[in-house]
Amino acid sequence: MQPLANVTPLKPPPRAGAIEVRNVGQVFRTRSQDVVALEDVSLDIKPGRFVVLVGPSGCGKSTLLMMMAGLRAQTSGTITINGAPIPQPDPDRVGVVFQEPSLFPWLTAEDNVEFPLALRGVAKAERRDKAQDMLKLVGLDGFGRRHPHELSGGMKQRVSIARGLVQDPPVLLMDEPFAALDEQTRMTMGDELLRIWATTGKTVVFVTHSLTEAVYLADEVIVMSPRPGRIVDHLQVPLPRPRTYEMLSGDAFGALRDRIWRHIRKSA
Amino acid sequence: MQATLTIKLARVAIVIAIFALWEVLSRTGLVNSRLLPPASDTLATLADLLQRASVQNDLMVTASEVLAAFALAVPFGALIGFLLAENRYFADVAKPLLFFAFSIPKSIFLPMFILVFGVGFAQKVGFGFFSTIFIVIMSTTTAVESVKVEHLTVARSYGATRAQTAFRVYLPSMLPVLLEALRISMIFNLTGVILAEMYASRDGIGHQIATWGENFQMKQLLAGVVMVAAIAMTFNELIRWVETRCSHWRT
Amino acid sequence: MRAKTLRHLIVVGLIVLWELLPRAGLIPELFLPSLSSTLLAGWNEAAEYGHALAVTLYEVAVSMAFACGGGILLGAIVGSLPRPRLLIMPMVSSLYAVPLVILYPVFTVWLGIGSESKIAFASIYGFLPTMLATAAGIQTIDPQLLLAARSMGATLNQRLVRVIIPAAIPTVLSGLRVGGALVIVGVVVSEMLISSAGIGYLISRYRTILDSPHVFAGVLLVLFMAIAFNTAIRWIERKAAIWQTGMRAGQNAADEIGSGAMQPAT
Repeated sequence: MQPLANVTPLKPPPRAGAIEVRNVGQVFRTRSQDVVALEDVSLDIKPGRFVVLVGPSGCGKSTLLMMMAGLRAQTSGTITINGAPIPQPDPDRVGVVFQEPSLFPWLTAEDNVEFPLALRGVAKAERRDKAQDMLKLVGLDGFGRRHPHELSGGMKQRVSIARGLVQDPPVLLMDEPFAALDEQTRMTMGDELLRIWATTGKTVVFVTHSLTEAVYLADEVIVMSPRPGRIVDHLQVPLPRPRTYEMLSGDAFGALRDRIWRHIRKSA
Repeated sequence: MQATLTIKLARVAIVIAIFALWEVLSRTGLVNSRLLPPASDTLATLADLLQRASVQNDLMVTASEVLAAFALAVPFGALIGFLLAENRYFADVAKPLLFFAFSIPKSIFLPMFILVFGVGFAQKVGFGFFSTIFIVIMSTTTAVESVKVEHLTVARSYGATRAQTAFRVYLPSMLPVLLEALRISMIFNLTGVILAEMYASRDGIGHQIATWGENFQMKQLLAGVVMVAAIAMTFNELIRWVETRCSHWRT
Repeated sequence: MRAKTLRHLIVVGLIVLWELLPRAGLIPELFLPSLSSTLLAGWNEAAEYGHALAVTLYEVAVSMAFACGGGILLGAIVGSLPRPRLLIMPMVSSLYAVPLVILYPVFTVWLGIGSESKIAFASIYGFLPTMLATAAGIQTIDPQLLLAARSMGATLNQRLVRVIIPAAIPTVLSGLRVGGALVIVGVVVSEMLISSAGIGYLISRYRTILDSPHVFAGVLLVLFMAIAFNTAIRWIERKAAIWQTGMRAGQNAADEIGSGAMQPAT
């Protein structure tokens, strides 16, 4: 029983996490040779920042993200989140959103959002409340009872974001979350994500192929190149927030995008 | 499926192990050797049986029944299957009925074939035909439907004639599916014919196996089982080998 | 005319012909007894058929427990471990080509002509498709779902109970449908071959004395049993239809024939 249930609690400060990547390397051993997927990657991400990783296929950006999620072990180096290494997935510190929404088709939207809480044995009523809050946050109020096959691609990805945030982790990792969506939905989802990020104040690390998406969303853009995967540039995006559609055609935006493109063309 | 040498060797090892276990169980008397004669004795009996004229005759009878039933069922079934795939109205009318016929057990109709045809060649071929025809219809439909509309559109846009479309688009796209269909139809066909022989017949290898069973001739019975199993598996693997040869057609 | 109407007319027409042709003497009653005389024959010997049905149902129930229980268990193991799968699956599907009915005489020698040999035979008959379907079902689970569950910190047990099992349910169900149908066929066929009780036995006994109406009554009874089972499982499958979307779309043509192969053989 919560004795103070009817007292409005103070709004807790936003939980945001710091990420430290130190000299991380990853080598895949195949039968014939060793492939260096990542070589000596170091990176500092301050709490509450929106950081985008871009680069051509095979530059190891998704691999790096999976390591931050604790879903894959690096061959060398260390990764810490809020000061502690992450040898395995820790939903208290990191939420993950994948390219495919990866919703469980046999569960309703709200059951999907509740899923991580159910794994920890959180009581049903509390789970339901949190799921409702999250669905409201991502703009899906009233869609909780639907099954994934009754939702559009964009809506599924919103549910997936709600699921990533339901345990209030300080860090949200997103692996090309909008890559499978059409252009218009993608733009809308970008704005939605920025709104959610502004509301929750999380640290976001976002992987994408799209240069426009990278510059539009990010505080900082990390450009990576393949064979071996490493960081070739680290840009600050000085554009003001909130970001608007008009900025896309501005000179500042174009200059940033060109700078990233030159790196990528060089490595391709 | 790709299989490395180790895996192939492991499979051979498993088969050898099964035969070895069989041999040991029987030789050491853990299992009554009258109920389970040693594998070596059984294989020797098998070699002996294959020399006998009566067994050779039985195999010939079964083979001719299987081939006759197959030769009847395939063109007939393929025609119906083709009509089903190409004619919308016919499909709407007949498909649910055929699906129903497909899903009901066929073997319980075996007594009716005896009532109608008596005991003999016609009854066994008839039942083999009946067991096979539905799967042939279904697979032909699937094969025709597996032809991609885009491929047909491309062929048409380059002015392919009907014959060219048939030979250059339909046939190559259908071939892998058809081979698979051939393999599965053969399984159904063989099962049907052998069951018919076991149930009521004067000859055929199925009849022979049933007789050995009734007379408690375990060595002959097991030899017969090994023989039929080996024939069925060899045929199956043969078609599968051809299938993998042309599997690159399948997209 | 609408396809559905025509189809219904065909079905009604076939039933009417079944009654009329034998009555008019166009088909000998020995080949095809009229519908009414078949039903009458069944009705007159209701007690005998009822007793036979009880025997058959008992054998079906026990065999189904063996076939489906064993098939699901082994299929789950083989499907979830890549090494045994690569090793065993081709062997199992090769075994599938063997007309298993030739094993029945072996079982009668070993176990006699009572229920035991029927149960042994029918269990093996229904085992393979159930196992193949379960293994395929486990394999087709979207690996992305497992990765997502892992990212949320799901333990191995939680992944099994909350992801793998629910995701495998539809394929297991269709395996059950096919395996169960084969169990029914296996029991009836073995009763028809050699036995002293059950519906298959009745069919064979009446066949030897050329009593067609009673043969057909038995056949009808088995048909109803198979259809009832099939309908029941399909009903459950439809209830679980939302599960289907969790599967990766496979190579359709091959799978359809593959699943076709698992329909009641003979």
